[in-house]
Parts: sequence; structure tokens; C-alpha cells
Amino acid sequence: MLRIRNLSASIDGKPILRRIDLDVRAGEVHAIMGPNGSGKSTFAQVLAGRDIYKVAADELTFNGRDLLQMPPEIRAREGIFLAFQYPIEIPGVSNLYFLRAAVNAVRAHRGLPELDAVDFMSYARQQAKALSIDDAMLKRSLNEGFSGGEKKRNEILQMTLLEPRLAILDESDSGLDIDALKIVADGINAMRSPDRGIIAVTHYQRLLNYVVPDQVHVLAGGRIVRSGGKELAMELEEKGYGWLEQEAVTS
Amino acid sequence: MSTVVIEQNAYAAQFAAMRGRLPGTHLPWLERLRQKGMDDFLALGFPTTKLENWKYTNVAPIRRIAFELALDRPLTGTLEIGSSAGPRLVCVNGWFSPTLSSMDSGLNFHLLNMGQALQDPERAGVIEKHLGRYTSTSDHAFAAWNTTLFTDGAYIEIPRGIAVEQPIQLTFISADHGKPRACYPRNLIVAGEGSQVTVVESFLGFDESPYLTNTVTEIVARPGAVVDYYKIECESPEGFHVAVINAHLDRDASLTSHSMSFGGGLVRNDLNVALDGEGSHCTLNGLFAVDGRRLVDNHTRIDHMRPHASSRELYKGVLDGNAAGVFNGAIVVHENAQKTDAVQYSKNLLLSREAQINTKPQLEIRNNDVRCFHGATIGQMDADAIFYLKSRGIDELEASRILVRGFGGEIIDGIRVPALREQLERLLDGWVGSVAEPRA
Repeated sequence: MLRIRNLSASIDGKPILRRIDLDVRAGEVHAIMGPNGSGKSTFAQVLAGRDIYKVAADELTFNGRDLLQMPPEIRAREGIFLAFQYPIEIPGVSNLYFLRAAVNAVRAHRGLPELDAVDFMSYARQQAKALSIDDAMLKRSLNEGFSGGEKKRNEILQMTLLEPRLAILDESDSGLDIDALKIVADGINAMRSPDRGIIAVTHYQRLLNYVVPDQVHVLAGGRIVRSGGKELAMELEEKGYGWLEQEAVTS
Repeated sequence: MSTVVIEQNAYAAQFAAMRGRLPGTHLPWLERLRQKGMDDFLALGFPTTKLENWKYTNVAPIRRIAFELALDRPLTGTLEIGSSAGPRLVCVNGWFSPTLSSMDSGLNFHLLNMGQALQDPERAGVIEKHLGRYTSTSDHAFAAWNTTLFTDGAYIEIPRGIAVEQPIQLTFISADHGKPRACYPRNLIVAGEGSQVTVVESFLGFDESPYLTNTVTEIVARPGAVVDYYKIECESPEGFHVAVINAHLDRDASLTSHSMSFGGGLVRNDLNVALDGEGSHCTLNGLFAVDGRRLVDNHTRIDHMRPHASSRELYKGVLDGNAAGVFNGAIVVHENAQKTDAVQYSKNLLLSREAQINTKPQLEIRNNDVRCFHGATIGQMDADAIFYLKSRGIDELEASRILVRGFGGEIIDGIRVPALREQLERLLDGWVGSVAEPRA
């Protein structure tokens, strides 16, 4: 599904990601862990097509298609979704209006008819309910004045509605209390399916108690310094990142 | 200097030739008013950028053209001028069009074209009391010019205690000139004590050659009256539009104004509100979208003349291309206007590097017991927001639309006439589409 070979990224001449290799197959959940400043968010943003980074790779393909040639909106329509670590507030634009514009853009690309406001409303409401998102939140301006938890749940709602093939979750768990974390984790688990890949970027092992990954990768200093099974996450929880960062520096 | 005199003399000659055909010629007071307007116009000359109030708006393109007085022309074809029911008065080229207007006779208020109203001695009496009283001809050349040559317009008088439910639509169309022409609408709105009225003024232009709309509206709100005033300017790109709106508010009266500018090559709005009654209030909202080499200039002035009056003002501009915008908001708090409460904001969104906005608050406070606040912001399209929207599959054009709509929403959402709100959403969306295309 996603194939990455020798990916590097820099901003203003400053390298952030170096020589990253990764394969995500349909049905798999990959966790990307790492300390602050290790390049986790950059990695997520690069996959979604953020153009402020200078990106180079021997290969960066999604279902065989070259992502480097694809603007972010086409990546999204092809099925890549990024749940933002810090969702953007857009005053004056209702959450519902935005959600419908996004869903219809993706539907049009897939040859599906547009959903009108009424059909969409009932569909969105139904999905929102599972995430404890009420009508008032759907009608408010997009993310404006949302609490941290509301923003994260709203990201998960977008993922649910857009039905991506590859979902990238950038710290969707950070700043959540345990109840909100469970809601978010349930939302992610509901998305798990044999034809969908998930990349969960997280600083903490906590999320992985609920969303059990197939593989765990540790990013430090812009490199994947270690990959393993879910037990690697446990090890990190115990030992912290220090020992791996040390390895990153010396390698 | 001599050419200026010749240009203005052209209008003096027009006045001499036309004065017998302008409405109200039988009224000596109006003859005097028109004559004073002419004298003031000749004395003032066209404003130059040396004048503080015209610093950023060069009207030389208007001065250089000898506009003939626009003639009364029947419109050919059909015209989509909004869907809402209710009373409507239409002027074409500054002249009342009975066929396009729909003014039921059974109304419990007065809605007449100015020409007709001046024929009625009772209405003419009210007009004499108010017309030109709030509009000084000695310090504004265009107002003086309009006072001299106004051809027709709307006269609205709401009797005491009457609340008019449906908005009154005033539509001013400029069309079929062929050569440079000028239109001079003049409107007077008198809202009686405790009355309530919504008035929507729309200006539409269909000309591909230069023309001028020089319009003046005077609004009188008697004690406790509530006036909701909308001005929608959609002149054609060749159109020059100069508007003066003067409102005078009595005790506890309230005015809400929405001034929306979407068209025109050069647009200047002067909106002046005199809060001349205790507890009076005005809300002045504005939205303008300007692109190409066009210019939109909004000058507002609020005079807090009595205690406990309040004002809220928010003007927002979206500018693209090499467009220029001006916002100048004067708030004058007079000596005895204790407990004045005034808040003013100017917020602007620049879509291109070349676009320019000059925004200036102008506070003159002659009293200590006041609360006055003003703020101005100028920002660009937020790249993070654009990426966020794109990452959801939304393309660049739609993303820009969404952000501009969000920006304008703060003004448009405040519009209390639903059909008008939808119309403005479409106008703004259409505008974003038209400016985004050349970039794509």
C-alpha cells in the first residue's frame, strides 16, 4: 500500500528526516514513536503533501502511484488521511459545511454522487454520535473554540466520514483524558479493516494499549532507529527514549 | 486649474439646461437648495489627494470625463433583481421606473419616488424639513453635485409606531448609456418615533463604458426608531460610484448599516452618523471585495453628541490583484457625550502581494468619561488553513472560497434578511471564483 525508500525531508536547508524506509501493507497498523523533535510530525505532514518541506526519496508510492507527483488534495482523494496534531481553527466556516465539502470532494473523485445537505446531515450525525460529538459542535465554526479533546474527536470524525485507505494519526491521543482517549481509540479501531492501513504517530505508549499495533518504529534524530513488534512499545515505556537516542547519535 | 473650471462649468451648463425638468422645480426652497449645491460645487472643485479625506483616492478619472446627465431609458430584456417579495422601488439611470417597481397602494407607510413625493404638499413639507439638512454641500463636492442635479430616488416615511415587516427594496440600475453618463439618485428615509423599517439599497451596473453613480441617502431616525439599512454595491467594472449616506439619530434610536461593495472601478462611500440623542446606537458593518486595479474607499464618521450613546463598527476588506482599499473611521466624541461607548474594528485580508489597504482610525475625544476602542488587522491567506483544507480533498479554489467565506461570514451572518444573506454569500463566492481563475 505505502512504500517508502530512502525518504529525506528538510526545511530551510535543515534536514529533518533522513533515509527512511517503510512498508505499510493493507490491514496493518504501524506505530511511529519517538521523542519530541524526532521528526514524527514532519513525517506525517510529508506523507499528506505539505509543501513547506523539501522532500526527496528513491521511492514514495501509494498503491503503486508516485506521491511526490501528487498535490495534497489528490492524495486525500486517493485515500490518504492525516489527523492533525493541531487542527486548524477556521472561524466563520461551520464544521458541518466543511465536512460536507470534504466528503463530496472525495466522493466526486471516486465517481460517487454528491450528498445533499439533508442526507449528509443524517449521515454525519450518526457517525458523530459514536464520538460523542453533538449537533451544536457540528454547527459551530470549524475547530474554533473547541477544546483539545473536541478537536481530536473532530479529526476522528473526519476520518470516519472520509473512509480513507491509509489513515495517518498525528498524536491523536495527546492531551486526552482517559475517557476521551477511549473514544478516540474506539474510533480508530472501528476503522481497522483488511483493506486499510493505519499509521499512528504517538509520543506515548498509552494509546497502544487500546490500538494494538502490528509494528512499532522508533524515530529519533529523523531516522527510524528501531523497528519491532508491539513489545517494543512496552520496552520504550519502561526505558524511555534515551537509550535509542544515544544509538541515533552514535550510529 | 482652468480646465477644472471648464469641467465643472459643463455641469453648471447641464443644470441650466435641465433645471426645468428636474423634480420639484415648482418649490422655491428646493430651487435654492439646488442652486446652493451648484455654487458650492463650483467653489469646491473636485477633491484632490492633497485633501486629508481624499488622500488615497484620486478622483481625477472622474474629473477627466464630462458625464452627461443619464436619460430615462426603458430597460430591454428581463432583469434578475433579487427574489424577495415586498415593496420595491426601481430607478433606471437615476429615474424612477414605474414598470419595474412594485409599490402597493395599501401600505401603512409612505413609499414614493422623490418626484412624486415632491408633488404632494404634505410630503413636500416633510421633505423640506429634512432634505439636505444632514448633508452639507459646502464640504463635499460630490454631495453638492448630487444636490444640484438629483433626478429622482426614494422617499420613505414610516409613521410613528409602525413596524414595516418586509424589507423595502430600492434598486438603482445603470444601463444602456453608450457614452459617459452620470446618475444622481437621492433618497430620504424618515423613520417616525418608535417605528421600525428595513431598507435595502442595491446598485447594479451593466455598462461597458464609463459611467458615474453619484448617490446621496439621508436617514432620519426619530426617538426610538429602529432602522436596518443595507447598501449593496455591484456596479460594473467601468462604473464610478460615489455615495454619501448621512444618518441622524434621535434619543434611543438605533441604526444598523451594512455596506457591501463588490463592484465598480472606483468606489467611495461616505457614511456619517450623528448620534444626536441620549441612548442612541449605531452598528456599522462593512464588507468589500476588490480585485484588479479597482479601488474601494470607505470613510465613516460617527458623532457621539449626547450621553450614553454607543456605536459598534466592523469593516472587512478582501483584496486581490493590484486592488486598493481604504478604511477611514472617524469617531468624534463631543464635550457633553458622557458614557460614550464606541468600538471600531477594521480587518483586512490580502490575497496578493500587490494589493494595498490603508486603514486608519481617527478618534477625536473631547470628554473623559468614555470607553473607546479601535483595532485594525491586515492578514494574508493562512497557508496552514489552506493545507488543512487540501488535506481533506478540497481543491485550492474551494479552499480559498471557504476561507474568504469564513472571513466575510462575520459580516454576512449578521444580515437579518435571509434572501439577502444568501445573495451575498453567492456574490462573495462568485467573486472568489472570478479572482481565482486567472491564477489557476
